[in-house]
Amino acid sequence: MPTITFSLKDLQNLAGKKLKIEEVHDFAIYGKAEVEAYDGETDEIKINFEDTNLPYLWSVEGFARLLKGILRLHKGIPEIKISKGDYQVVVDKSIMKDRPFITCFAAKGRKIDDYLLKQIIQLQEKFCEGYGRKRQKVSIGLYSYKKIKFPLHYKAAEPESVEFVPLEFKAKMNLREILADHPKGKEYAWILDGWQKYPILMDDKNEVLSFIPIINSDFTGRLEIGDENIFFEATGTDESAVNLAANIFAYALSDRGFQIYSVEVKYPNKKIETPHLENEKILIKNEHIKQLFGLELKENEVKTLLEKAGYNFHNYKVEIPAYRHDVIHPYDVVEDIGIMYGFDKIEERPLKTFTAGSVLRMNDFTCKIREILAGLGYQEIMSGVLTNKPYLYEKMNIDDFGTIEIEDYMSETYSAVRSWILPSLMEVFSKNKHVDFPQMIFEEGVANSRKGEKIEEFERIAAAVSHEKANYTDVRQVLDCIMRLLGLHYDIEEAEHGSFIEGRAGRAIVKGRKIAYLGEISPKVLENWNLEMPVAALELNMTELFEIVEKR
Amino acid sequence: MEIKKLAESLNPAERKVARVLDDINSFDEIIKATGLKDVEVMRALQWLQNKNIVRIKESQKEVVSLDENGIKYLKYGLPEAIFLENVEKTVSMGELGKKTNLSSEELAISLGVLKSKAAIEIRKDKDIIVSITEHGRQILKNGFAEQQFLKESFPKEINMLRGEEKLALENLKKRKKIVKVELKKTIAAELTETGKKLLKEKFDDDMIERLSPSMLKSGSWKGKRFRRFDVKVNVPGIFAGRKQHYRRFLDEIRQKFVALGFREMSGPIVETYFWDMDALFMPQFHSARDIHQGYYIKEPKYAKDLPEDKIKNVKSAHESGFGTGSKGWRYEFDAKRTHRHILRTHDTSISARTLASKDLKIPGKYFQISRCFRYDIVDATHLSDFNQVGGFVIEEGINFGHLKSLLRMFAEEFADAKEIRIVPSYFPFTEPSAQLMVRHPDIGWIELGGSGIFRPEMVKPLIGKEVPVIAWGVGLDRLAMFKLGIKDIRQLFSHDLEFLRNAKVI
Repeated sequence: MPTITFSLKDLQNLAGKKLKIEEVHDFAIYGKAEVEAYDGETDEIKINFEDTNLPYLWSVEGFARLLKGILRLHKGIPEIKISKGDYQVVVDKSIMKDRPFITCFAAKGRKIDDYLLKQIIQLQEKFCEGYGRKRQKVSIGLYSYKKIKFPLHYKAAEPESVEFVPLEFKAKMNLREILADHPKGKEYAWILDGWQKYPILMDDKNEVLSFIPIINSDFTGRLEIGDENIFFEATGTDESAVNLAANIFAYALSDRGFQIYSVEVKYPNKKIETPHLENEKILIKNEHIKQLFGLELKENEVKTLLEKAGYNFHNYKVEIPAYRHDVIHPYDVVEDIGIMYGFDKIEERPLKTFTAGSVLRMNDFTCKIREILAGLGYQEIMSGVLTNKPYLYEKMNIDDFGTIEIEDYMSETYSAVRSWILPSLMEVFSKNKHVDFPQMIFEEGVANSRKGEKIEEFERIAAAVSHEKANYTDVRQVLDCIMRLLGLHYDIEEAEHGSFIEGRAGRAIVKGRKIAYLGEISPKVLENWNLEMPVAALELNMTELFEIVEKR
Repeated sequence: MEIKKLAESLNPAERKVARVLDDINSFDEIIKATGLKDVEVMRALQWLQNKNIVRIKESQKEVVSLDENGIKYLKYGLPEAIFLENVEKTVSMGELGKKTNLSSEELAISLGVLKSKAAIEIRKDKDIIVSITEHGRQILKNGFAEQQFLKESFPKEINMLRGEEKLALENLKKRKKIVKVELKKTIAAELTETGKKLLKEKFDDDMIERLSPSMLKSGSWKGKRFRRFDVKVNVPGIFAGRKQHYRRFLDEIRQKFVALGFREMSGPIVETYFWDMDALFMPQFHSARDIHQGYYIKEPKYAKDLPEDKIKNVKSAHESGFGTGSKGWRYEFDAKRTHRHILRTHDTSISARTLASKDLKIPGKYFQISRCFRYDIVDATHLSDFNQVGGFVIEEGINFGHLKSLLRMFAEEFADAKEIRIVPSYFPFTEPSAQLMVRHPDIGWIELGGSGIFRPEMVKPLIGKEVPVIAWGVGLDRLAMFKLGIKDIRQLFSHDLEFLRNAKVI
């Protein structure tokens, strides 16, 4: 969820009203945003936007536009004037397969200062990283066009056929070298993984503007303070998103007083003028408003609310500003009616239908067993479900019996889903060697294991006791008590299990189903956990046990 | 405590010790007089001191005892005594050595000691010739003071020695390993004023220390008194077997939802893209999904048991709206990717499963408490495991107004919040979307959870028709931290036994 920074004074100028910071706090709610901080000394506001699908707001210009609507300083969709420009971009068919869409415009008439440059770069970064899916879906380039010789050429080039000096570097590099050695190349190389040729934007003198979507050229590829002429391009794999990028920037720069000039994009089979600032339309019904909010509004009330939200409204036909592509259902518009009406003002209605509540029977069952263990003096533990294979197996002196592993884990400590619970209890003992004995602990929780292509999920419970004379009887008594209270007959057979001492491990069987391991923990395992006190433990499969109990 | 009661509170050992204290007070003497073991005396003294009957005084004293040569000379005599006994008149050192079996070192020392006592005279010829003096004969007759000293009973306090003994000790101290002087802690006990009064009381030695089954059977307890206990005394701590503090909190939340008429749902923690995201109308290639970045499962990568008919519907909703009046996301839905295994990123996946289930009841109220997983660094405010409670109400004719009243009820029931705010928010699967804010008495406004009305594009593909579904989800970890007064989120899953044993019951 993007956070942007701008000055309050700038917001006041753009909105045309001397807003107090408290008012900005209140209005932010309409933009699904929250003012995180305001520094009175630097006049800097930091604001965080919830809606990842509404990138026009990620700029002070867009936010000011929203406020002007709410304040009725303009009604509906603001005007934008596009002058016909004399610029051409030729799209070569070589790029049509991998990254076919490009939208451009030129903007003139204002000197760029340090603050404005920062604002432009902020919007560019937020858009490309978030909405543009880290430049894969959309990337944006901004250039000072006085050094550019039109028409431009957008095409795919062999990795070693082109070389130029990338931003922040001094020497020429070819495209392959940039991917290997330039910091931005390394960061974004994954986008071009497996591509034969790479996207390039060149001018008519074969001067490279940008190796898209990686890095611009050091010569033409940057805006500088004092520039008055901007050339904008957005490229990508999604036509709608590429257009949206251009529209948002065209509006933002227009709000700043730039004149926007169109650019002709020549595809192999068609010619279009960009930016494509057409407002889409959607039909809503008055009953939609009632369905979602229980509100009965008159047409003129709907019109006012929608105009405040920045739409044009005529006879329930709603025109959506070109800088928004998030409206796909009438409800998207209706939500804005509700927001402008005020969520606070919508009447609360109690639910009147009676429904019977119920707990999952499995949870009810585990609750009962947990109660027994607590009654036996055991302290309950709750651990994370994510753990790692050395804990589950190596330290427990057993082989992996099928683990759900995480593919790209953040930390190896949390790289697998636990397949049994006892290792968590051993970890507890290892962290509490200085604490009073006896230590009696248990944990109930979910465990997963893998059987070939199948994933099995079980509820399991483990109980363990540690003191100078901890032994098999301790845990056998616990098992015995649970089974007696459940009214279940069980048998014990000798078991071989690496975690337990040979000859002191048992497996409990109920109705032919293996439901538990119990025994004295092997000194080897104790050593692995760095423990100096004997431990006896048991682990029960609660899912199996529950099924047996339910079937009775 | 009055003296009589105090007397009744003494246990047998205390009584024994108290009785002898009138005459004596050193620890060793008490042991002798009472016949108790030293630990028993020590314990009794401490108890008596706690009852203000005695004052224990500790002091350090210099104590002398025999060292290895001292023990030897006690048995065989000091070398200078043996030496002198063998000087009848005049004798050479060589002869003396043969006669006495003293080592040359002992001979040399004896020579020095006897000379300084003027017991012998020496002259040098080929060998050293020794002759006894008159004074020497006198010493031989009276015995050596040092030899006498060795016969004392040790250990002995140095400040108890007489002048002559002190001199002998000084002489012996200069020599090798005959005596050793150590600092020793000594304990003495002295009766307090209360103690003195107490001793005038008659002690009843026939008090009952512990009531036994045989006493009850025979009735021998009748007419006897019980030794009085100090009921104010501190006792060693014990620990209750108990439910974990956070798990208990979750149990309570569960019970509350049931009380409010909600039915509990469940789902697996290893989910698929389908139930976790695609079925919620979250486009497969969209930034909205980034906030749900989760953990992918290494193997098996793809699920085989998904409902293919529902996938078809969801695909259609993503691509073109599935007849809901929506345009859909307008891209080609990847039906393979939807089978990808992932750890559940949020509890809404369980709501999706329930909506698609043939057991769904309309009208109905549903909830779940579930463990979810996000790709996050573990620190004081983030865990990779976290718990959510969420659910939905499905009923014809319900709308945002009903959602508001439901959220108010939650705020009151679960966060004891009187003041709430419901502000616009964004979730890819709800329209409208709202955030529930509650006023916390100390912290101010906090976000409690997200909510909204499920989009028709989500509902229709799963249940086949459009019915209003109001939904919400609340992160429980933060709520629990407020309730349990915990600052570090990791304490919810604490492995610190001392903390767990003593976590407050709230």
